[in-house]
Amino acid sequence: MPAEKSDLLQGTLDMLILKALQLEPMHGFGLSVRLRQMSKGVFQVEMGSIYPALCRLEARGWVKAEWGVSDNHRQARYYALTPAGRKQLQEETAQWALLSQTINLMLKTT
Amino acid sequence: MHRLRQFFFRLGALFSKRKFEAVLAAEIRQHLEMMAEANRAEGMAPGEAQAAALRQFGGVEQIKEAYRDERTLVWLEQLARDFRIAVRSLLKAPGFTAATVVILALGIGANAALFSWIRVLRFDPLPGAADPARLVAVENFADAGNGAGEALTTSYLDFRDYRDHLKLLDLAAIGRGALAVGDERASERVWCELVSGNFFDVLGVVPAAGRFFGPEERTDAQNAHPVAVISRAFWQARYQASPAAIGSTLRVNRVPFTIIGVAPAGFCGTQPGLAYQVWVPLTMYGEVTHTGTWMLDDRNTRNFTMLARLKPGVTIDQAGGEAAALAGFMARRNVEDRGVGAAVVPLWRWHFGPQQIMLKPMTILMAASIVLLLIVCANVANLQLARATARQKEFSIRLALGAGRRRLARQLLVESFVLALAGAALGLVIAAWLGGTLPWLLPAVATPALVQPPLAGGVFGFTMLLAAAVAAAAGLAPALHAARANLNEVLKAGGRSGAAGAPSHRLRGVFVVAEVALAVVALVGAAMFLKSFQESRALAPGFAPEGQVLAQFNLSTAGYTRQQADSFCQRMTEMLGQQPGVTGASYADSPPLGFHGGNWEDLQVEGYQPAPGENMKTYRNLIGPGYFEVMKISRVEGRDFDLRDGAGAPDVMIVSEEFVRRFIPQGGVIGRKVHGWGRWFTIVGVVKDIKIHHVAEGALPFFYIPMRQEYRPEYGLTFHVRTSGPAAETIAAVRRAAAAIDPALNLFDAQPMTEYIAGSLFGQKLAASMLSLLASVGLALAAMGLYSVMAYSVAQRTAEIGIRMALGAKPADVLTLVLRQGLGLAVAGVIIGSVIAGLLARIAAALFTTLHPADPVVYVGTALVTVVVAVLSVAVPAWRALRVNPLVALRNE
Repeated sequence: MPAEKSDLLQGTLDMLILKALQLEPMHGFGLSVRLRQMSKGVFQVEMGSIYPALCRLEARGWVKAEWGVSDNHRQARYYALTPAGRKQLQEETAQWALLSQTINLMLKTT
Repeated sequence: MHRLRQFFFRLGALFSKRKFEAVLAAEIRQHLEMMAEANRAEGMAPGEAQAAALRQFGGVEQIKEAYRDERTLVWLEQLARDFRIAVRSLLKAPGFTAATVVILALGIGANAALFSWIRVLRFDPLPGAADPARLVAVENFADAGNGAGEALTTSYLDFRDYRDHLKLLDLAAIGRGALAVGDERASERVWCELVSGNFFDVLGVVPAAGRFFGPEERTDAQNAHPVAVISRAFWQARYQASPAAIGSTLRVNRVPFTIIGVAPAGFCGTQPGLAYQVWVPLTMYGEVTHTGTWMLDDRNTRNFTMLARLKPGVTIDQAGGEAAALAGFMARRNVEDRGVGAAVVPLWRWHFGPQQIMLKPMTILMAASIVLLLIVCANVANLQLARATARQKEFSIRLALGAGRRRLARQLLVESFVLALAGAALGLVIAAWLGGTLPWLLPAVATPALVQPPLAGGVFGFTMLLAAAVAAAAGLAPALHAARANLNEVLKAGGRSGAAGAPSHRLRGVFVVAEVALAVVALVGAAMFLKSFQESRALAPGFAPEGQVLAQFNLSTAGYTRQQADSFCQRMTEMLGQQPGVTGASYADSPPLGFHGGNWEDLQVEGYQPAPGENMKTYRNLIGPGYFEVMKISRVEGRDFDLRDGAGAPDVMIVSEEFVRRFIPQGGVIGRKVHGWGRWFTIVGVVKDIKIHHVAEGALPFFYIPMRQEYRPEYGLTFHVRTSGPAAETIAAVRRAAAAIDPALNLFDAQPMTEYIAGSLFGQKLAASMLSLLASVGLALAAMGLYSVMAYSVAQRTAEIGIRMALGAKPADVLTLVLRQGLGLAVAGVIIGSVIAGLLARIAAALFTTLHPADPVVYVGTALVTVVVAVLSVAVPAWRALRVNPLVALRNE
């Protein structure tokens, strides 16, 4: 499947980043790889969207950034979910479920 | 709540900018390295891997910018950047910036200075008093039968009755005067207030040190409590704020007083704008003036004014009703109160405060100042517009490169604001300087020092507001104009200066018309006031002040008796008569047209039946022989006083024409008897009327008594000396003569009479001089505006003019072209301005009755002056247009 650059709404991207960080803290590169992986190649999010998104999440206190050492012994900045972030992820997931359900329903009706 | 968190997060970026930039840079660097490594792992060569990584990553700077958009307070950063750019670009045009800042400073500074004065006079008349809105003045007035009339002072006994019976007010009484204050060795003239015991309570003032009057000191017992309160400034100047001052002795008119306390800083008495230094109990009046106790016991001796605080929940009207009712009762009960009413007025309408003299001219000045400010705004807007037009090309390129229109407009507004801020800062300096110079404009009359109104917080706030308003007004037009520019057209129109299109030129024309109109308004106002001022000077006062010198003595401080005073006056008159240049000398107790009110007495005229409630208190002067000659007051009938009319001789009186008209219309004046001061006087002469209080007053009945027959020590003594020599020499001679007779005598003021009566014209004089200043500045600014427009338009049309001349146009044609444009603007401005000025003059005439709102001379004169100035300011660009070399003009394309 060709890797397409699909438009992702700001809020949705934030939510997906939170999800991606749920398992473990990651740095920017790792995050972009993970997002592509999670979406099975559909979403190739640009760095120009990821970095501002990470800044936003940090500003809102849902994500914390710290310098750490990567696998290849490199200095990298790791982003980790905060407890508030986890809570936010739960809420947004629920909201998204409701939203997509409703839209799907509306689209199905003839 | 995460919005708030976000805000603080962004705010933090202000302070840690370098840090987060470094972190971001490092993070991205690491990211790129990791991507390159991944590429190498896939088999790419190292160089290629890096290049591929960069491609995959995307534009680093753009990504950083997007990050910054989230990280910082973008609007704040942009504002800071706009500010920096504004300052830089303003500094690059130093001429324009300096001119604009100075112009703005003039307008804002003048307004701030006037506002600080108006604030003191109207809103904060008694600094240091608590809750000044509840303070009122209780005034007596001479009831002309209709519930209103001339304001009067009050006697002590009347005050006591008011104080004891008025339930809606807390009443205090105040007397004022200049007293010799000091110790045994030296004394200086200090302005003091003699106040009732509850004075400080009524005003709500707390002592800065020591205490105020205690309960024992508030009784009505006369001359019992020699205690004094001094002002903070006095404490500082004389005692260096040492606590040892409290309890020490202070001699007031040679009477020892004990200082018990110090008033707080900023409190200087109850006459707004004037500084008093010492407060003593009113009950010490007799002691201080060396007159015993009779003055406070005499209901006819009216020397005091009354200040009061409304009790909680009471309105002025309620208190006024109670006071009026009580006054009516007292008028029926006491002979001395017949015809005297009482009213309660707010402080700023107090007839015995300087506000009456100063508030009206201040208001007019404020209006004029606002007009000046409008001219300033128009001028600055014009300058801004010209500058914006010159930068049109720069703006269009920036717009083409992607700047938002709103961003551009905002930057221009910020520039305008920076100018206004600089203007406001300089304006405050000007305001401070103006505030200091205002006392110079006051005539050199014997009054307390003027308090310089502080540049208090209110004034700062006002100035800032003004600056913002000016910035908006002056900057809006250029900003809008720049933002609306059509890129294509502008770039096509080209021209070396990024030529202005017709719209901008029209706009500048509109501004110039506005400026000229406003200048005309200012000029008309100033001319009208000057005229009315001239007229009132020309209103003959009835006597000849030129060539007279006044010398004021205070005999009561020296403790003179009647005989001593008499002999002093005689010897002085003799000695002065022998001085070279002196053609006559006499003396009196109160010169007319001074700053203070006159003295009067209740009279009964033989053969005249006063109407019920009519006020028979008539103003008088105690004079010496030869007074009328020195003053050049013409005699109508009878004789002058002479040396026969001394103590013990039959009591005689001279009356004025109005006195005769009012009380003795049937004739038979000489020999008629008049009752006053408990005895009968015989009229021996009639003189022409003179002006007593101010030159524009109506005729008042007036009478004269020989001072030798009715002397009281606290009456002032003024020597009138008519001299043909210079005033300074005469004054020195008077001093020498006085010192020769009695070295301890206090001669406290000597000046030419013309200076003395200048005080009665003070209000209008002040208004007139400041108005002319404002008007001239306004006209100059309008001329500048006109010149700048014309010069610019000529520069714009240089090519056109060059072509015309190359094609054979005569210089006269070019001149006509340029002049017609300029004059057209000027004439439009003059017409509009005259109409507005006419409307405003009608309003002003209601306040100043001597103004003639429809004086054609003023309007025509102003129009001529403005047109002449306009022609001159157009002439220079016109002349320059003529000298344009056609070749140069064409080449400049």
